[in-house]
Amino acid sequence: MTVLFWILGILAVPTLIFVLWLAWVFLKELFHPSPDDDAEATEAAQAAQAAEKLGLLPAERQNTDFAAPLPAEWTAVLTAVRGGDWRPAADLLAAIGRDWERRSALAYLLADRAAEEDAWLLAWEAERRDDPDAAVVRARSTVILAWKLRGAKTAQYTTREQAEGFHRTLVSAREEITRAAALNRDDPTPYIAEIWVALGLGYPNAEMDKLWAEISSRAPHHYEAHFSALQYWCAKWRGSKRLAFEFAERAAADAPLGSLLTALPLIAHFEHDDSEDTTADNTPEMLARVEAALQDAAAADPAHPRLPELRHLLAFYLHLQDRNEAALEQFKLVDGHVNALPWRYRGDMAGHYCRVRNTVVQAVREPAAAPA
Amino acid sequence: MGATLRALRALVLLLGFYLLSLVLLAALIGIDVLVASWGHGPLTVKVGFVTVLLAIPVVRGMLMLRTPKGEDGHGIPVTEADEPRLWALVRELAAAAGTRAPDRILLTGEVNAAVSENPRLLGLLPGPRRLYLGVPLLTGLTEAQLRSVLAHEFGHFTGGDTRLSALVVRGRVQIGRVIGQFHEKADDKVAADRARQERASAKRIAKGKKGKRIDTTGVGATYRTMAKIYTAYGKLYLRASLSTARGQEFAADLTAARIAGRDATASALREIPVLSASHDFYLESYATLGLQARLLPPRGEFFGGFGRLLTARELELAGLRSELPEEPAGPYDSHPPIAERVRRIEALPADGRADEAKGAALALLTDPAGTLAALEDAVLTDELLRYPRAAGWEALLDASMATGLSAAQTPLHRALAQYTGQPATLSALLDVIDDGRLWRVAEQLPLSEVAAASKGRAFREFVRPVLRRSLRTMVLAEFSSRSLLHWEFSWSRPATVRLPGWGSRTEDDGPEAALDAAVEAALADHPDTAQLRALLPPATQNA
Repeated sequence: MTVLFWILGILAVPTLIFVLWLAWVFLKELFHPSPDDDAEATEAAQAAQAAEKLGLLPAERQNTDFAAPLPAEWTAVLTAVRGGDWRPAADLLAAIGRDWERRSALAYLLADRAAEEDAWLLAWEAERRDDPDAAVVRARSTVILAWKLRGAKTAQYTTREQAEGFHRTLVSAREEITRAAALNRDDPTPYIAEIWVALGLGYPNAEMDKLWAEISSRAPHHYEAHFSALQYWCAKWRGSKRLAFEFAERAAADAPLGSLLTALPLIAHFEHDDSEDTTADNTPEMLARVEAALQDAAAADPAHPRLPELRHLLAFYLHLQDRNEAALEQFKLVDGHVNALPWRYRGDMAGHYCRVRNTVVQAVREPAAAPA
Repeated sequence: MGATLRALRALVLLLGFYLLSLVLLAALIGIDVLVASWGHGPLTVKVGFVTVLLAIPVVRGMLMLRTPKGEDGHGIPVTEADEPRLWALVRELAAAAGTRAPDRILLTGEVNAAVSENPRLLGLLPGPRRLYLGVPLLTGLTEAQLRSVLAHEFGHFTGGDTRLSALVVRGRVQIGRVIGQFHEKADDKVAADRARQERASAKRIAKGKKGKRIDTTGVGATYRTMAKIYTAYGKLYLRASLSTARGQEFAADLTAARIAGRDATASALREIPVLSASHDFYLESYATLGLQARLLPPRGEFFGGFGRLLTARELELAGLRSELPEEPAGPYDSHPPIAERVRRIEALPADGRADEAKGAALALLTDPAGTLAALEDAVLTDELLRYPRAAGWEALLDASMATGLSAAQTPLHRALAQYTGQPATLSALLDVIDDGRLWRVAEQLPLSEVAAASKGRAFREFVRPVLRRSLRTMVLAEFSSRSLLHWEFSWSRPATVRLPGWGSRTEDDGPEAALDAAVEAALADHPDTAQLRALLPPATQNA
């Protein structure tokens, strides 16, 4: 019997030692948690701190609704319509008048509200029959509503009900677009809205060319029009890589400096680039495109409502081309609002933006910190 | 392969079936013996019971020596005195094919023609021959095409196809029957088990517990296993006999082309799938239209309307004929694909007989109208025949639509009843709309996940289609209940509704368009029921 105890005792010793060691590790972790081993996470945390020191905002404080802060007046107007008061909106649109770039932008924002709830717009329409401004908001809102019905998933995951609602609503929007265009014959905005109908209903290229003629005769270098049309010409919608680049390059070449259309080749590249590394982003063409875009941005009106969108793209490609200091300049100018390409397609656009931005901050800091 | 060899193979395969059955029986007995010698009383009894159960279908399959008499089928037997021209044609074609004419002709209600023979002594002696001829087939084919179809059927008898194939068919039928029996037993068992589980589950729920999921997988597995053994043999059997069966079809097609002409044969082959599909559609959409209202079409029209449908939809059918059904034949299908058969026939040299006998095959009958009427008595069930007859197709349509509308329960009916707690009526709905509470009702509709998650305009847009359809139905039902609705019958188009006041016949300002506009206005974001109320018959407005 004693022999048996001896054997059991000898076997118990290593087990006991193991249990004690586990308990010690556990207690140690409990009172002095070791810093996370993950070097990447440390680095990321350091980068985030560095970014914060520069006054850049963490992901949770980034605005994911817009690409840039809205003018205070616009914010006030949007708040007013949410409360049912359409008059400030009507006044502002009237004041903007023939500044097509701003008109289309504000009409979009109002229409986006009206696509959710349109009682205020119905009131506006009831009081001012045939108001071209109400008509253009109406047309845009129906197009936006159609896209909301469709949802953001690819066609494969869109239900039949969604697809039918999408189609039906787009078709009904065409009538409203025609009406809005007839009420203000010089305004390109209704036609810009129609580009999104063209995408959804699959206009043949010939139809799109006709539509484009209507737009370019009214506003030859309109940023939103070009941006929308480029989506149509992309391979994922109704065009191809070749057609998209052709359109983008021609638009950029024909536009005067400061019109921001140098963003188009960058977007065309972004939409058709599936590569994993940065080789494709460092070709001589891409270097030249980024350089042209830098000059374009420098020459643009600093209050141009679309300038931040170009800066977001510039920040991204300057980083991919290892010009991190220049990239950081752009990041500093746009930080706080991230709803722009190249971040917009990600579910976590703020997180994606901040990761890239922090990498840039770190890269700028390191050579500075290292002894020369 | 010569005929003798084919017969020999068929015999061997058939004997294989009996051998398989004997082996299975022996195995079952073996299990019994083994268990019995091992002792253990209750187990022996149980195993013995199971093996006997399994043996029954096997033994029954072996004893069913006779090929089952194909359901004699409902039809009108016609004598030579009744239909001299049809009989003359049949005799002529049988002679041309070099075989014996049938002993009886039966006119049936299907799109089909078949010659059957019940041979005696395992197919060694010929038996009585019957020709089944579908009246709808006569309605749709020209005389030349009918000649081709009949020549094809008789072609099977030349060279003793059918007599030899009696063996093959017997084997096929017998194996199929045994498999069927096993599956049937397994299904019975599953059904019984399901019922038992459902009872048990109901009890659990009654006691306030969660109902157990009903699961019948695995029940009847022994029966299914037995079926699988036979299925495996059946597949072997079919594969061995199929090339023959398909070859025989091609050969019969050639006989038909020789006797009735190449073009008539090719066009008949193209016509039959089209006729078959059209007849299904006709039965579904026209002949049985009044069943819900317990009405039959006028006498003779149950089958007679098919001809009118074919005439009215001639253009549509021409398109169908030109495209051949391209679906590949299943590996165990005894017929080669129609497309392949048509291609082979159309590849034959022209024989200059394109314009023969273009008249309708139905005209061969002495009294087509009388036959169509008599066929109803022979084919339709007694219960159906007791239904009253409508005065005409128009009246049949009106009556059946009125019945349908009065019984209609749209999703909106249910949602409204749920919301108000009252029976759903149109006037109640209009009041709810006027109170601006339509979208509250809409929340009670059956919604998809996306629609349920949406808000505001998007939600309204998602529910609008079902609201539009339901409200329209409710309005039509209101008209219909006051006999103010008329439906326009057409052989070529779906029925269209005609509201009172229909006269101008312009699409844009008729009551149709007014109804659509009024429905649209009632469902708009700012609803307006005034238009709809104005349209409705007076009684509703006062309600």
